[in-house]
Amino acid sequence: MIYTQKTSPIQKLLRVALYAVLIFMAAIYLLPLVVMILNSLKDVEEIRSGNLLALPQDPSLAAWSKAWSSACTGSTCDGIAPFFFNSFKIVIPAVIISTLLGAMNGYVLAMWRFKGSELFFGLLLFGCFIPFQVVLIPMAMTLGWLGLASSASGLILVHVIYGMAFTTLFFRNYYVGLPRELISAAKIDGAGFFLIFWRIVLPLSPPIIVVTVIWQFTQVWNDFLFGVVFSGVDNLPVTVALNNLVNTSFGGKEYNVDMAAALLAALPTILVYVFAGKYFVRGLSAGAVKGA
Amino acid sequence: MAALTIENVKKSYGSTQVLKGINIDIEKGEFLVLIGPSGCGKSTMMNSIAGLETITEGRILIGGEDVTHANPKDRDIAMVFQSYALYPNMTVRQNISFGLEVRKMPKAEREIQVDKVAKLLQLELLLDRKPAQLSGGQRQRVAMGRAIAREPKIYLFDEPLSNLDAKLRVEMRAEIKKLHQRLGTTIVYVTHDQVEAMTLADRIAVMRDGTLQQLATPQEIYDRPVNVFVAGFMGSPPMNFITAKIESETLLSIETKGETYHLPITQGKALASYIGKEVTLGIRPEMITEPLAHKAALDYVKVLNLTPLLTEAMGADTMVLTQFGDMELKCRVNPSYLVEVNKPCEFMFDMSKAVFFDPETEELI
Repeated sequence: MIYTQKTSPIQKLLRVALYAVLIFMAAIYLLPLVVMILNSLKDVEEIRSGNLLALPQDPSLAAWSKAWSSACTGSTCDGIAPFFFNSFKIVIPAVIISTLLGAMNGYVLAMWRFKGSELFFGLLLFGCFIPFQVVLIPMAMTLGWLGLASSASGLILVHVIYGMAFTTLFFRNYYVGLPRELISAAKIDGAGFFLIFWRIVLPLSPPIIVVTVIWQFTQVWNDFLFGVVFSGVDNLPVTVALNNLVNTSFGGKEYNVDMAAALLAALPTILVYVFAGKYFVRGLSAGAVKGA
Repeated sequence: MAALTIENVKKSYGSTQVLKGINIDIEKGEFLVLIGPSGCGKSTMMNSIAGLETITEGRILIGGEDVTHANPKDRDIAMVFQSYALYPNMTVRQNISFGLEVRKMPKAEREIQVDKVAKLLQLELLLDRKPAQLSGGQRQRVAMGRAIAREPKIYLFDEPLSNLDAKLRVEMRAEIKKLHQRLGTTIVYVTHDQVEAMTLADRIAVMRDGTLQQLATPQEIYDRPVNVFVAGFMGSPPMNFITAKIESETLLSIETKGETYHLPITQGKALASYIGKEVTLGIRPEMITEPLAHKAALDYVKVLNLTPLLTEAMGADTMVLTQFGDMELKCRVNPSYLVEVNKPCEFMFDMSKAVFFDPETEELI
């Protein structure tokens, strides 16, 4: 539709009001982040005596460096750095495995339907809605039987199982949008189940892979409950360490270190969103607008 | 030995029967067109031949070998889909050679084969493009190339031209026909377009509601349709149907709006048992024309006055919809025969190719 239209004063006013509301909302959302950044750059004395929103008088990265490498988290005082790497050790395999399994499940549920596959899919979806707390005890027992209690592999397994419901849902819904004739053509060309998956279906999947990886990365990285319950002392993820750091105090509370540590712990997910956020949105809407 | 034998094939989804016992034999090198209105089971038949769907009953043999329960890949067939189904992530070259690669043909041979096919279909300049960079007609050719490269026993075409615009469709139709003549391959072709069926087929199988209505050459189907359904389905514009009464072996009468008209009959012998009874007369539009001087003396023509309701100039002919009593008849006249709407004028009925159906069974008499 192309037509020119004169805007009346009321419309202009409404537009201004709209932007005012949007800016106000954005400010409210951003304020905590701003407060954290500002105060992580101050020293403890300045925080205690001054205003939370005041700019730091003498900005310094001392709190960041302490949070990273020397703050105490419970009984050790090596900062959150070691736990940061623990998190990666858990997140990377958990994301890769759950994404691959989700892709495979989705492929089967969308393109190789079997008797009861819809029911199977429906039951799998329950997995998306089960609260974490409900599965803690059965999961702990299962890990015990498997001999994986208090190990990184055990925690990875928990994340894979828990994430699979979502990853399967993502891939299944994406693959339902791919033309069935593509699979028929490949079958007639002589390709089998796995060959079709590797050569035809997976090469068409990057948009949904990006979505799934971002989703899973964020979920697993931010997880606290499974981490604190299943990881054991040697594999604590950064979220648990952050909690320990904030709760461990000798003398006065070091708010600047707490805030720096929190920002560090959140950094990977923030970066993922900054760099891949547009692919996330694009991937989610890919199925909706795909032509021919 | 038949290239493809379809033996009493039945297929049901739950309680719905989509194929109710189909029998077809196709000779090697034959071009068979499956045609019928949507929902008649022609696509299901095609998918069953390909092995993409399992059949409930009956047998399918390819080259004498029972493949009823074989996988698609073991049937030695190739299929061209309505949507082309080209692999979007692969180049044209990869699309064509994928099937060869899967079947473990050595790389050098594969390249020779791809080049051969590309040359045959004029795809040489497109080999390194992705399907998204091709036009509809080019995609169509790639889809055919992919089928040809494997040199299968049977080619299956599933409405391959229905996504093309009218002009391209005619061009590709001719290309498919040429290809068939050149390669001498066995082809089963599904369409709902009766012009495609008439022009391409060696034989046409007309289907309706999961049953085979008639299996015959295009001309036979056009001239001697076995029942009212086939007569009405094949031919565009469709055949005219008129309720008539057989008076004698040489004459029939049509009563409409209190008037009685008489037309000559040529197939009197076959109609002997219907004398005095009603039949359905089928006459194609091109058999109702302007009065032709060279035919005037023949005993199977008759001139009647009809009232034109609508004219459609098609260039080579003009279609005229006319009022005949309480019926509407489609006629095909020379464009030089100028008719005026609502002004009765003369039309010549050529009864030599008229067909008659039993009004009860709708079968050809």
